[in-house]
Amino acid sequence: ASTTQSPIEALWISYNATTPSRLKLIDSFLVFILLSGAFQFLYCILVTNYPFNAFLAGFSSSVGQFVLTASLRSQVNPLNRSQFKDVSPERAFADFALGSIVLHFFVFNFLG
Amino acid sequence: MGALLPALLSLLPLLASAGQLTLQSPRVTITGPDASILRNEPLSLAHPLSPPLTLGTSDTLKLTFQILQKDSGKGVQPHQTFLRFHDPQTDEEGVQPLRVSSTGKANFELNLARPPVSIPPTPNASVPLHVTLIIGSFKHSPLSQPLFDLYLPVSHAAPQHPDEPMYHPLSEIQHTFRPDPQTPYVIFSAIGTMAVVAPWIVLLGLWGSIPHRLPHLSHPLILLFVGLLASFEGLLFWYWVELRLGQVLLYGAILGGVTVAAGKSALAKVGRWRVGTA
Repeated sequence: ASTTQSPIEALWISYNATTPSRLKLIDSFLVFILLSGAFQFLYCILVTNYPFNAFLAGFSSSVGQFVLTASLRSQVNPLNRSQFKDVSPERAFADFALGSIVLHFFVFNFLG
Repeated sequence: MGALLPALLSLLPLLASAGQLTLQSPRVTITGPDASILRNEPLSLAHPLSPPLTLGTSDTLKLTFQILQKDSGKGVQPHQTFLRFHDPQTDEEGVQPLRVSSTGKANFELNLARPPVSIPPTPNASVPLHVTLIIGSFKHSPLSQPLFDLYLPVSHAAPQHPDEPMYHPLSEIQHTFRPDPQTPYVIFSAIGTMAVVAPWIVLLGLWGSIPHRLPHLSHPLILLFVGLLASFEGLLFWYWVELRLGQVLLYGAILGGVTVAAGKSALAKVGRWRVGTA
């Protein structure tokens, strides 16, 4: 790493080089959820919060999905193998799928 | 049971007439301070006494009567006997309990030198007090008998309680409610919709740019499992538009059982691929 690079650039280059592509897929999904939640929040502040339950449902779906995906990523990451000895990546994905479905059920309930 | 109720109802008129009370020889006397008799008259139950009675400050009013049962003529000592003094103009009233002997005889003396506490104030000299006899008894029907009108000497009016203005009705509250919330203009909703859809484009772009390999995606077990998960999402969307809670829980339970079975086998296969035993 040359000294003219800023720390952010160095972080980005290191991330690109060392992260497996599967984890990068999950990371892009996390970015998507983040943007989705941020835009919903901006709309609520700037335009209207009129169907307030709709805003709450959408925003909480973003937050909940982000939490589930982040936990999936940390359980699937090969570098964390020592921490998650009795949770195989397949088990992590099954938990993620079940949690997502339950979250979506409650979100649809609240969406009304 | 059906025939009993009309039979009981037919007995009610008998019960009503069985216990009617009446007064015998009610008489009112007003004597002056020197024991001279100013008025001495019997009272009629049907007609009011005329002219009305006037009591001076040192006169004595005496009222005597006997309470009888109407049908049998026997004397009755009722449970409650009251004399009610009512001012029709100010609506003030006072109630004086009377003592009745066991044979039904009662007498009441009123002397303004020692007035009972039950006399209401008489601030207006031209308005008399209406005097009524009220009798209550468990065994007989009640009796409310107007006796006479009584002019008493003028007194101060009733004092007004300091808290009385608190009970006057307050002025009506005029409240303007906030207008109902409305959906914003279409242009804002359109911009908002585009803003929410935009992250999908970002996601697909990122997924396209990451060099990744998914060698086993077309395996039938994997496709079945992913297809069942997608159908679960479809079931939830169907619940949002049409289904009821019981239905979605039932279908979800059935679909969930199938998905769990498919998922177990699919993920076991993926695990074997990952470890390398296939």
